[in-house]
Amino acid sequence: MKAYKKEVQFTIWMTAAFILVGNVGLIFSIFPVDAMLLGFPVMYIVPILMGWFGVFLLTLIAGKIGNRIDDEIDRENDALGNADEVKEV
Amino acid sequence: MEQNWQLDNPIMGLAVVGATFVLFYIVGFISNRKSKSAKELYVGGSNVGAITNGLAMASTYMSLATFLGITALILQLQVPFIMLWIQLILAIPLITIIYGTSLRRMGAFSPTHFIRDRYGVTASIIAALFMILVSIMYALGQMIGIAITFETLLGIPYITGLFIFGILIVGYITIGGMAGATNNAAIQMVIIALMFIVPLAAIMKAIGASGWYFPPLLYSDMVPAMMDALPSFFDYQFSPKWYFSIIPALTIGALGLPHLAMRVYTASSLKSARSAMVWFAFILGLVFSATYAMGFVGVFATTTQGVTISDGDADKLTIILNMVYNPEWVTALVIAGAISAGLSTLSGNLLAIGALISQDIISTLKPNIPQRLSLRIGFIAIFAGGIASILLAINPPAFLVVSILWAFGLAGVTNAPLIIVGVWWKEANKFGAIVASVVGGAIYIIVSPFVFPSIVLTGHAVTDGMGLSGAMLAVPISFILLIVVSYITNRMPALSGKLTKQADIELIERIHGWKDIKAYRYNSTLGAGITVVVSAAVAIWALMPWGM
Repeated sequence: MKAYKKEVQFTIWMTAAFILVGNVGLIFSIFPVDAMLLGFPVMYIVPILMGWFGVFLLTLIAGKIGNRIDDEIDRENDALGNADEVKEV
Repeated sequence: MEQNWQLDNPIMGLAVVGATFVLFYIVGFISNRKSKSAKELYVGGSNVGAITNGLAMASTYMSLATFLGITALILQLQVPFIMLWIQLILAIPLITIIYGTSLRRMGAFSPTHFIRDRYGVTASIIAALFMILVSIMYALGQMIGIAITFETLLGIPYITGLFIFGILIVGYITIGGMAGATNNAAIQMVIIALMFIVPLAAIMKAIGASGWYFPPLLYSDMVPAMMDALPSFFDYQFSPKWYFSIIPALTIGALGLPHLAMRVYTASSLKSARSAMVWFAFILGLVFSATYAMGFVGVFATTTQGVTISDGDADKLTIILNMVYNPEWVTALVIAGAISAGLSTLSGNLLAIGALISQDIISTLKPNIPQRLSLRIGFIAIFAGGIASILLAINPPAFLVVSILWAFGLAGVTNAPLIIVGVWWKEANKFGAIVASVVGGAIYIIVSPFVFPSIVLTGHAVTDGMGLSGAMLAVPISFILLIVVSYITNRMPALSGKLTKQADIELIERIHGWKDIKAYRYNSTLGAGITVVVSAAVAIWALMPWGM
């Protein structure tokens, strides 16, 4: 049950995070900001930076968590196998 | 300024392009000697390493649009188009986390292969037919780009370039197969990055930008002059609704693209697929950011430097900037890079068509045909798909990116809901899938400006043409139909004999990595209900006036 819940929650939250980080332009279209950053308008450069480094960072996190959840599913499967063996005995 | 944009010395350009082709042929030939089975042809034997695969993913995805199409639309739409393009980087990460690893675990050749096992033969053939249309529309954009590039390179008419070089490239892909394509795509990615970013640095240096040594981000010293010359450049122009419509059309759309998802299945393991996604994000972010810089420089050059580019030449912006500011041999390299970009995406599209026709349609209808015949049909399909895209490109749309982005929306309507809901909800069944794909697809095609120009949602040519408005209506309808029709038909005793509930349940548990079956897993009525409510709200919003 634990690994299943983690898998579902991970997928939902990670998808939401990716969509958010990749669509910062949508946020700025609702809440405009009139400021400059690194010589560019914030509404121009922040979506570009998030769309590169933000997404890159999320892929690192998603890769790590995804691998860990796979291992947990394998562990629950192994525990299941052991339990079956016990029953068979 | 010069108006007739073509290289003075086409021999040098041809030599560079020829040299890159020889390289690709050699890599393709060496890789293809191993391509004996259908599995090796389409997914490279599922043993491609993470870096190669990540680069190949980025290369397949980037396409000629990066070199030619994006800058043209930045010239026309300015910042809104950059905002639209940014989220395209989400494609491979979202495919990987939402369903890629599950389908890789299943050993699927293509998304349609999953649809066949999950929803049965009829649904998979409908999905495959739509996917062939998606791939051809996507390939069409590449063909237009290739013809435009040769037009500029050799000064030959568009149609001549289209036929001669289109057929040459289709021939290469037919011979190459996926193993060749994957290795080549990785090499092409490096060529694309170098031949785009280094010449951009030279252009920026010529214009006087102090940050020329890192073009993707260091061009802020040009911003004040841009704001003086064209104060509206940074304006968002459109309402939040326009920016929202990008999510169903392109973010979800990318999830249904067959040639992209196939890259996840070429990974040697699930861990490797996840590492490839990291490489993909890094390299694509780099090249995308450079593309925005190129678009910015293009607008800057036309508004402050006296460079004039006619509407008909907009797709050539990148090449024109190089002609104006760089020596000819640099432009020749850029042209070779553009052709590499077109080649890698086209090979992904055509291989997807080959897999769709031979594996998903013919082998599904006639499972007992010999493997050699199946492979031969695949090669014929790859070639025929290429020829179809050449014929469609005879009379191209105004901007090459438009057909590509429209294809995203069609994939989002007809394919993505079936895969996403099919992987995560046991109740989804074939009746829901067939209705969702057919009705959703029909609505999307009807409201596109290509079939009935008077039936459109916004009246804003580029917004309707790119499928933003159509997908905002049709994608949620497709989700609703899939969930509601499945829910109802599962509860009709008369239909229970036609459904394969137990096999569906076993398939879903297995592709998520489970060895046992639990009723509580992937069975949330609440989740399905929330999806229906949210989808209904989005569809209603799409029907309300866009104010454009």
